[in-house]
Amino acid sequence: MNACTAGFAVSWAGEQSTGTRALRREQQLNRFLADVERRALRIAEIAVRDRDDALDLVQDAMIRLARRYADRDAAEWPPLFYRILQNGVRDWHRRRAVRNRVMVWFGRASRDDGYDAVAAAPDPFGRTPDEELANREAMDGLERAVHALPGRQREAFMLRTFEGLDVAGTAAAMGCSEGSVKTHYSRAVHSLREALGDHYEE
Amino acid sequence: MKNEWERDTAHRAKALFDESVEALDGATLSALNRSRHRALEELARPRPRWMRWAPAAGMAAAVALAVLLTLPGPARIDVLPATVADVEILLGDESFEMLEDLEFYALIDALESGSDVG
Repeated sequence: MNACTAGFAVSWAGEQSTGTRALRREQQLNRFLADVERRALRIAEIAVRDRDDALDLVQDAMIRLARRYADRDAAEWPPLFYRILQNGVRDWHRRRAVRNRVMVWFGRASRDDGYDAVAAAPDPFGRTPDEELANREAMDGLERAVHALPGRQREAFMLRTFEGLDVAGTAAAMGCSEGSVKTHYSRAVHSLREALGDHYEE
Repeated sequence: MKNEWERDTAHRAKALFDESVEALDGATLSALNRSRHRALEELARPRPRWMRWAPAAGMAAAVALAVLLTLPGPARIDVLPATVADVEILLGDESFEMLEDLEFYALIDALESGSDVG
């Protein structure tokens, strides 16, 4: 093998290695997003009470994660992804508040919350109609109660409980200290317990 | 006791949430699938050249700003010399037309100031 051929072989092997790494990264990211996407959608949906808007927010978070943080260690993706998603949700609420103020100014209050959680609720499998109704009512009650929480409490509760992030991961996703996460979470649970007392009684 | 109570509340909420996640309809799952593939396409897209320099450009801008803020500057900077005459003009009948052409009048003013100096 002459020097030229050897150089080509090394270069080709390097490109192969880069290509393999890129493919592996894409597979990893695909697995991560596939694993997280449905829970993320429901979390966003509970926060904004609109499925289409929630889908947009999740897609935006996915694209931003892929565009900016795909090179990061896969263990960093969950808090990064949820940080992007929570920022999106906060922006959504800000835009909504501004829009409502403008609509009030023009004498046309926009729909405050025309969202019908029962109608939008997915069909549960293999339940009797009574069980299905009771379950939908419970989920509707939970959604309304979680939605009614102050923003930071809602974020802490959903990230800890629904997504299963630990305190450190939740703090990273929320951009606050671990102590704040614990406080927000504890207050959220107390508020929910009060709001959902009827549903949660044995 | 409190921890048990918190765990119980969270556990019940999680069970309801998980059930709602499992029961998402086909159209929604399909939309999520499309979103994921749209995101993965970003990996194949090369970064714009300017983005590679964004961190360095940001640092340079920060340094330049810091230098500008620390250097002694002119006593005051007149962006638009606002005189009593200007205010009188603005309060006159033609004020609305003038407001539309404010940049033009500012240019005229600057040219006149320049000719005085020269």
